Amino acid sequence: MVEFKNVVKKYSNGTLALSNVNFCINKGEFAFLVGPSGSGKSTILKLILKEEDTTEGEVFVNGYDLSMLKRKEIPSFRRSLGVVFQDFRLLPNKTVYENVEFAMQITEALPKEIRRQVPMSLALVGLSRKAKSYPNQLSGGEQQRVALARALVNNPSLIIADEPTGNLDPETSWEIMKLIQEVNMRGTTVIVATHEKSIVDKMKKRVIAIEKGEIKRDQEKGQYENEVKDSKICC
Amino acid sequence: MKLRTAKYVVKEGFVNTYRNVLMSLASMGVVTASLVILGFFWIITANINHNTKFLKDQPEMQVFCNPEMDGHQVGMLEWTIGRDKRIKEYKVVDKKQAFEEAKELLGDDKDVLEGLDESIMPVSFIIKLNNSSDYEEVVDKYNNYPGVDSVRYSQKAIDFINKILRGLQIGSSLLITILVIIAVFIISNTIKLTVFARRKEISIMKYIGATDWFIRLPFIVEGVIIGLIGAVASFIVLFIIYNIGGGWVENDFLMVKLVGMNDVGFQLILLTCVLGALVGASGSVLSIRKYLRV
Repeated sequence: MVEFKNVVKKYSNGTLALSNVNFCINKGEFAFLVGPSGSGKSTILKLILKEEDTTEGEVFVNGYDLSMLKRKEIPSFRRSLGVVFQDFRLLPNKTVYENVEFAMQITEALPKEIRRQVPMSLALVGLSRKAKSYPNQLSGGEQQRVALARALVNNPSLIIADEPTGNLDPETSWEIMKLIQEVNMRGTTVIVATHEKSIVDKMKKRVIAIEKGEIKRDQEKGQYENEVKDSKICC
Repeated sequence: MKLRTAKYVVKEGFVNTYRNVLMSLASMGVVTASLVILGFFWIITANINHNTKFLKDQPEMQVFCNPEMDGHQVGMLEWTIGRDKRIKEYKVVDKKQAFEEAKELLGDDKDVLEGLDESIMPVSFIIKLNNSSDYEEVVDKYNNYPGVDSVRYSQKAIDFINKILRGLQIGSSLLITILVIIAVFIISNTIKLTVFARRKEISIMKYIGATDWFIRLPFIVEGVIIGLIGAVASFIVLFIIYNIGGGWVENDFLMVKLVGMNDVGFQLILLTCVLGALVGASGSVLSIRKYLRV
């Protein structure tokens, strides 16, 4: 599903963000990407989204070889995955319904399909009643659920979440994580970058820990902090 | 692109124009002002062209035959002139007429002609050309014609008129080009502000996989709407100016005949609308370019 092969990323200002990163996340997996700020977590996500290009090495996502991807093909690649951000990134001028609808409109989906999928995906995150509200009328947790509904509406096989609970209180965070787990149980691969120790420890999923641009630990049913059991290098 | 996408794009363009109403009005104002200036010059050019058209037909030339030429030779020359396609019309001035004219011209001094008769006067042809630019060839041809004494023509006047007309054409098209370029830049700057205010939206769209054209087209529609409304406004302003100012000009300068608004109006509205739409669209394309690189 997602594979990094000997990836090195050096930014144009000379910062070495990643040095020789290798990992592989299989279909249907749920993986946490943890590490302190500046460790290279965001760089990995940016590479997955093809926002940045690798300096060396290869990245494969959803069967696309990202180094071979042309600029023209980026939109259709991005449609094959769903993204959730820390700051929600909803369109402020559109209602909840329109925000989710927009993700389908860009794929030129049939109106019939849109009318079926959008309410379904809003129902999944429990926001059917707020369909006509604007993002600024919602709480943070609700906004994040809209973002999740938008990420899910095209039935992507991979969901990327960048600090999805970073702006939320613990209780709401937990709700969002439960929703993401539910999505994962339906067969969608999930990658979550996070700082939240409590969530990572409680959920007992695969943990990939990054530090100073290298993978320090890759562990099934891991914890946020190092506790080397069952360490494993994949692929 | 599918029809419903086109529908979405157009609708989004209208909605965005309405949502950023102040910015849209500012851009429209700029378009209107630029097009009023532009249209004003265009009207002036059209009027100058209209008023100098008669000058172009005016130049005449006179071919003088040698006084010794006999009737047959004169007849031959007349036949040649009559068949020349470059010549619109000609008039024969025979010896008698020429003598009378000379007498009239001399007035009180006509005693000079005492004892002379009309045989000393040459026969001449007054020629009008179809196209003033042919005059050089025509003059050449008849100057070398056997029996022709001289061809008189007002070369300086013809040259002068041609030079002025050419200068006016070049000058006005240069000015119009410059004005269009300025308008594109001002409008793209105004639209840039709109785009800048919505750069976050644009990047969100890119993140969820919208193509460049999907993002760009509503902005282009917005630019075209702004351009078209600005064009119509500028047409109204020009119409009013022309009706008031035109009447004033015609009253004060009797020689000047203005082109009627009915003749010029359709061209003017076409010109302003096409330019307005083009300027709006290119302004949008220019200003959004930077934000699509995510």
